[in-house]
Amino acid sequence: MNSGGATGETVAGPGGPALLTRASQAADRNFKYWMIFPAVLVILLIGLFPVIYTLIVSTQNLTMMDEDTTFHGLMHYRALLEDARFWESLLHTFIFVVVALPAELIFGLAMAYLFLERLPGRQIFVALLVLPVITSPIIAGATWRLLFDNRFGPINQILGWFAGEPVPILWTVDPNFVYPAILIAEIWQWTPFMFLLLLAALSNVDQSQIEAAELDGAGFWRTFTRIVLPAIWPVMAIAVLIRALDLFRLFDVIWALTRGGPGTSTETISIYAYVLGFQQFETSYTSAMAFLVIVILAVSITLILRRMEIDR
Amino acid sequence: MARLEIRGLRKSYGKVEALKGIDLDIADGEFCVFVGPSGCGKSTLLRTIAGLEDINAGTIDIDGEVVNNLRPRDRNIAMVFQNYALYPYLNVYENIAFGLRARKVPDAEVKVRVGNAAEMLGISGLLDRTPRQLSGGQRQRVAIGRAVVRDARLFLFDEPLSNLDAQLRDGMRAEIKRLHQEIGKTTIYVTHDQIEAMTLADRIVLLRDGLIEQQGAPLDLFERPATRFVAGFLGSPQMNFVETKLEQADDGLALVFDQDRKLPLDPTRVPAFDKWRGRDVILGIRPEHMSRSGDGASRKPAETPLNVLVDLVQPTGTRTYAQFRLNGTEITVELPSHTVERPGTTIEILVDMSRIILVDPETQRVIPG
Repeated sequence: MNSGGATGETVAGPGGPALLTRASQAADRNFKYWMIFPAVLVILLIGLFPVIYTLIVSTQNLTMMDEDTTFHGLMHYRALLEDARFWESLLHTFIFVVVALPAELIFGLAMAYLFLERLPGRQIFVALLVLPVITSPIIAGATWRLLFDNRFGPINQILGWFAGEPVPILWTVDPNFVYPAILIAEIWQWTPFMFLLLLAALSNVDQSQIEAAELDGAGFWRTFTRIVLPAIWPVMAIAVLIRALDLFRLFDVIWALTRGGPGTSTETISIYAYVLGFQQFETSYTSAMAFLVIVILAVSITLILRRMEIDR
Repeated sequence: MARLEIRGLRKSYGKVEALKGIDLDIADGEFCVFVGPSGCGKSTLLRTIAGLEDINAGTIDIDGEVVNNLRPRDRNIAMVFQNYALYPYLNVYENIAFGLRARKVPDAEVKVRVGNAAEMLGISGLLDRTPRQLSGGQRQRVAIGRAVVRDARLFLFDEPLSNLDAQLRDGMRAEIKRLHQEIGKTTIYVTHDQIEAMTLADRIVLLRDGLIEQQGAPLDLFERPATRFVAGFLGSPQMNFVETKLEQADDGLALVFDQDRKLPLDPTRVPAFDKWRGRDVILGIRPEHMSRSGDGASRKPAETPLNVLVDLVQPTGTRTYAQFRLNGTEITVELPSHTVERPGTTIEILVDMSRIILVDPETQRVIPG
C-alpha cells in the first residue's frame, strides 16, 4: 500500500493501474474461498449444527412430560456416569466391535486372496458375494430372524440333519446363542465390503514384486508381511476404520433379531439411546449420552488416524 | 554355475500358443540373449525358465536336474525385472538382503555380502534410501544387486534397460557386460533391441512366433542370416530388400531392375546361384554395404556402380542416410556425413556385391552361396 502511494505521488499516471492490479489480484486470491463457501456452509449446517444442538439439549431437561429448557449444567452427564445400563451397553458394543471387526477383516482378506486369480465365472461370484452389502440391514436382520426361527427356520433344520434329532436352539432368546446369532448375521452382511475393498487393493499390488520375492525364496508369510501388507495398508486401514465406526453404531441387525434382548443383554449404545430417546422420550438424557459417544469416538478416531500413517 | 537344456518346450494361454516347441542348450557361463519382436515369446520363455509360468509340454533341465515341477524359489535363479520390481517399503539394504534373509543367512554374512554387492555396483552410499528416492539408473543397480548378492546358478534379465533413457542405457549395457565377465555366471537376457543383443551376447537366440528362427554368435547371425526375417531384424538401419530377377548377362548372372539398371553378380558367387537363372529373387543389401562412387576410396573389385535418384536425406551427424527408389522399393544407403545430397539429385552408388544376399521369395529363406 505504501509503495503504491509513493509512486502515485511522484508519477501520477501508473499509480492508478498498479493499485487496480493489486486489488484484482487480491480478488483473484479470495475467489476460491467464495467458491467453496456454500459447500462449507452446508457441511457446517448438517455436521456441526446437530452436534451443537445436542450439546445444548443435553444441558436442559426435556422429557416426555416436561419441556424444561432452563440450564441444568452437567446433571445428565453425572447421571450417565452412574447409569449401569449405559456402561453395559457400551461393553456390549465393544464386544461386537472386537469380535466382528477382525472376523470381517480376516474372512474378507482370505476371500480376496481366493478371488485374485482369474478363475472362470469370477465375475458372477464376485457379484453374488456383494449381494449382502446392498441389502438393507433391517431386511437382512429380518431374513436372519426367519432363518434362525427355532421351529421353522432352516438353520435348526439343517443342524437337525447332522444331529440326527430335532435341534430346538432358541437363537434369538437363549443368552448363550444371541451373540453368535447376531455376529453371524453381522459378519455375513459386511465381510463382502471388506472383500471388495481388499480385492481392489490386492489387484493393485505390483505382480512383479511378488514374483521377485518368490524368486528370492520368500514364503507366503514373508511376502505378505513385507510386500503385500504395506502395499494394501492404506486401503485396509480405511476399510477397518469405516467398519469400526459402523460397528460402533450397530443397530438394525440387533433390533431385527433381539431388540436388545433377552433383557438388555445384547443392548448396544445405539439401541439404548433409541429406547431412551424415542420410546421413553428422555430427550435431554439421551442427548447427553449421544454427545458423550461423539466425544469418545472423535478422540479415539483422531488417535487411531495419527497412528495408522495412512497418508504415507 | 549352470548348464541349461530345454527340450520340446510348449506353452499356451488358452488357445494362443506362445511357445511352439523350443529346443535350446545354453552352456555354463554363457551370455545368451533372447531377441525378437513383441509377442515372439521371448519373455514367456524366460518366465518358464524362472518357473513363473507353468509349461504345457517339454522339459527344462538345469545342470542335469529337471526343474519342471520345482517352485521358482527352489530353482535358485535370480532375475532382474523390466520395472525393477524393487520392494518399495524396504530400503536399499533390505531390498538387496531380502533373498538372503528369506534363506535364513546369518546377519553377519548378510552384511558382508550386501556390502560387497553394493560396492561392486557403486551403490554403497545409497543403502539407507528407499527405492522411490532413487533415479532410474540407481534403481536398476539395486535390482542387479539383489540378483548378484544371492549365489544363484542362473541370472535372468527381462528387458532390464528398456525403462532407462538412451544415455543411461549405453552405460548400463556396458556395465552388465562387465559384470558378466567378472562373475561369469550363466546369463539369459531378453531384449527386443537388436543392438543390445549384438553387443552383449555370446550367443543370440532369435525368436519369432514362438519358435527359434536362428541362433548363433552375433556376427554369425549378422553375416550369415538363415532367413529374410533374421537378416531384416539384425542391423540398423534395416537391411534393404528389393524384388528383382536373376538373368543371364554377358558371361555371368545379373540382377535386373527398372530403367535398364543391372547389378552383375560377383563371378565367384555365380555357380552357387546358377539354378536361380531366370527366376524371381529378393535382393538383400545392408545400407552400409553401399557407398558413393568417387568419394576418394579406391574401388574394390566386387563393387558395382548404380545410378540412383536421391529422394530423401537424413543426416545424423556421424552418418547420413539417403533414400532412393529401386523397382518401386525405398532403399536406404549409408553415406559419410560430408556427402550430404539434396533430394532430387542423381548420384552413382557402388554396391558391394560380395556382401549381398539373395532370398527365395517363396520360402523367405536365404539362398546359400
